[in-house]
Amino acid sequence: MSKVLKGTYNQEAVSGFDHRTAMEEAARCLLCHDAPCSQGCPAGTDPGKFIRSIRFRNPKGAAETIRENNILGASCARVCPYDNLCEEACSRCGIDRPIEIGKLQRYAMEQEKIFKMKILTPPSKKIKKHVACIGAGPASLAVAAELAKVGVKVTVFDNNPKAGGVLSYGITSARLPQKVVDQDVAAVKGLGVKFELSKEIGLNIDVNEMLEKKDYDAIFIGTGLWESKKLGIEGEQSLGVVSSIDFLRYAKDRKGVDFIKGQRVLVIGGGDVAMDCASAAVLSGAASTAIWYRRTIAEAPAQIAEIEYVTKLGVGITTGYAPTKITGSSDGLWVEFLGRDGKSTANVNVDCLVTAIGQVPRDHSNFLPGNIDAKGDIIAKKDGSTKIKGVFAAGDIVNGGKTVVEAVAGGKIAAAEILKYLGVEV
Amino acid sequence: MAVKKDLSIEYLGVKCENPFFLSSSPVGSNYEMVAKSFEEGWGGVFYKTIGIFVADECSPRFDQVNKEGLPWVGFKNMEQISDKPTELNFENMAKLKRDYPDKVMVSSIMGSTEDEWKELARMSEQAGADLIEGNFSCPQMTSHAMGSDVGTNVELLEKYSKAVTSVTKIPFIAKMTPNITSMEIAGRAAVKGGSKGLSATNTYKSITNIDLENLTAMPVVNGKSSISGYSGAAIKPISLRFVAQCLQDPELKNIPFSGIGGIETWRDALEFILLGCRNIQVTTAIMQYGYRIVEDMASGLSHWMDERGFDKIDQFVGAALPNIIPAEALDRDFRLLPKFDTNKCVGCGRCYVSCYDGAHQAINWNEKKRIPELDDDKCVGCHLCLNVCPVQNCIVPGDIIFKKGRKRHPIKAKQQYE
Repeated sequence: MSKVLKGTYNQEAVSGFDHRTAMEEAARCLLCHDAPCSQGCPAGTDPGKFIRSIRFRNPKGAAETIRENNILGASCARVCPYDNLCEEACSRCGIDRPIEIGKLQRYAMEQEKIFKMKILTPPSKKIKKHVACIGAGPASLAVAAELAKVGVKVTVFDNNPKAGGVLSYGITSARLPQKVVDQDVAAVKGLGVKFELSKEIGLNIDVNEMLEKKDYDAIFIGTGLWESKKLGIEGEQSLGVVSSIDFLRYAKDRKGVDFIKGQRVLVIGGGDVAMDCASAAVLSGAASTAIWYRRTIAEAPAQIAEIEYVTKLGVGITTGYAPTKITGSSDGLWVEFLGRDGKSTANVNVDCLVTAIGQVPRDHSNFLPGNIDAKGDIIAKKDGSTKIKGVFAAGDIVNGGKTVVEAVAGGKIAAAEILKYLGVEV
Repeated sequence: MAVKKDLSIEYLGVKCENPFFLSSSPVGSNYEMVAKSFEEGWGGVFYKTIGIFVADECSPRFDQVNKEGLPWVGFKNMEQISDKPTELNFENMAKLKRDYPDKVMVSSIMGSTEDEWKELARMSEQAGADLIEGNFSCPQMTSHAMGSDVGTNVELLEKYSKAVTSVTKIPFIAKMTPNITSMEIAGRAAVKGGSKGLSATNTYKSITNIDLENLTAMPVVNGKSSISGYSGAAIKPISLRFVAQCLQDPELKNIPFSGIGGIETWRDALEFILLGCRNIQVTTAIMQYGYRIVEDMASGLSHWMDERGFDKIDQFVGAALPNIIPAEALDRDFRLLPKFDTNKCVGCGRCYVSCYDGAHQAINWNEKKRIPELDDDKCVGCHLCLNVCPVQNCIVPGDIIFKKGRKRHPIKAKQQYE
């Protein structure tokens, strides 16, 4: 008998450590010289150092190390692809299995919350420069925090009522509860960063105009990818076809997807977003949930841990099939598939189809004329600078959609470049 | 779980089915407890110390020391002797002896005057005890006329030993306190008073932890605490030392010894036996894990005897004692260099860090390959690296280098590390 996991939408996928289990795990750490895990974090979170703090009974010190290095330390603790980063670098892999760095980071950040720690505070010395961050997602928050730490005035704009971007409106609650996102956002606010939320800024305004008004000395753009890629097949407009962005956002806003209760759900895609859609569907009470992906599991961009999680929830994954046609009918949707071999076919009857085959940016061509590539991404250098003086960009809008920690890393680099541009000595 | 070997051994003329006994403590406080322990395989019991004095106990009374998430590295208790009526305890003892005639009953007693000691000895004999142990060592008695305050006073040790042995022919064992500089001196006094055996060690006076909430020691008894006895794995090294010193003392070398202190496994028990103990007593590990641990003690010891070709425990009692010699008698002619298995190395660099910060800067760190490289000339052969390495058999003893001007000769080195 298989034993699938049961749960509700707001239930966390994994439980955390308490003091004892955290200490047991920290005791497994080899406390390496020049720790490879610390080199393995794109955002420089420095696990080698914070695990040592836990091991020497200084969890508050651990929380400080994380927060100082990674402004989204609490969220990253939940959503980072550890198995490809710090945990893959862990020396303990040579003995048995890596240290559970993500869970230790989560434990440390929980201490920050429990003890109401205010780790980052605005510096007493203010710098008379003002930077606008467009978008309140990971890259923007990282830029805002880095600038505010040295006394630069920062205002973050977002069209949503909550800050966090993909953290608040994308990644499913089972993996990333909203309270964790709010904890990170509070740390940014604690640095004195101003937030202008529910403000549809940019896109309709030329960035040059913003600079000409001289309200801001520099502009950072971290607007992310907020359009779902289309399947490009017949019947895509049928009632019952939902994009992953709308689906996950609906779930986040209403703590579950009420309209799929008792329904047959099919998710198309092979990334973490597809996995999130599937788990959100199961946990919202879908009668059945299946994922269909055109390639193989080995080729799927999703973290193996996420694939395992949805499998444990009882989600079936069919690989090697791409959809070719959707037909709406009185008994739901009929989705036709063609196998990778070009011969096999399938025709599947479901109530709801979620498309999760990737995300693309909204149209930025008016906002940043001449700085957009063929895919619609913003063209920026590695240091975050664009062709327009005083305008910087990083995160998904530049890299085409990677991880939260890479967005933080990109934001940190861009912030350093902005400071250089502003002539601020650090 | 097989116990292929005969683990029986004679202790002070009493045949014991195995050397594993409960020490006088909470684990042997009443009929039901001792009966259960016998059923599970313990060879005998040092019944919880009986006095004329009946203890009035505090609450809570225990604390434990942990390290890196590992609990019970050490254990502190504030219990005194039995809190049950004296007569009831002797009744239990008699019933146990009647129901389990092949198990060994040791009556642990503690008086505060010569008369009390004599009376308790007589009561022990009437209850059918095989042996009597004098508790001269409980460090948390509420009276200075009893416990470790007596065990550090040679006159009282001799006097009370004499009191007991004057009224009974049952062999008497003096239980020694480690809260003393030289246990041998106390041991000689007890033997002079007629003690036939010695047992060591009782618990060590301790403060395990300071409570940061109440600013007192642990455990917290209405905002206060006291110094009291420390036991468990942490004390084993010091207890082994006391046992070795007693058994190397010219006057005590043939005294039948019962070993106590941090024994959890067959290996711990064997270590005491290899120093010369013919009997083993356990409490703390039972408090943590239960009586069932005796199964693996018996089985493990039996397997070891099988590996080594021993048929009786008698064949190896004290086998390690002659090899424990004074520091000035050690062979200091050579350096035993460590050998690094770079295939096993996981590149953690702990050997490098420890050698630099805690030893002789003899390990160079190859940053690119993330491996240690030994500087043979700088290495003094201290083996700090071997002890800090987290990978089994990655660092092992290697080349023997004789110091300048010293004559080469065969060297016995340890080969198997776990």
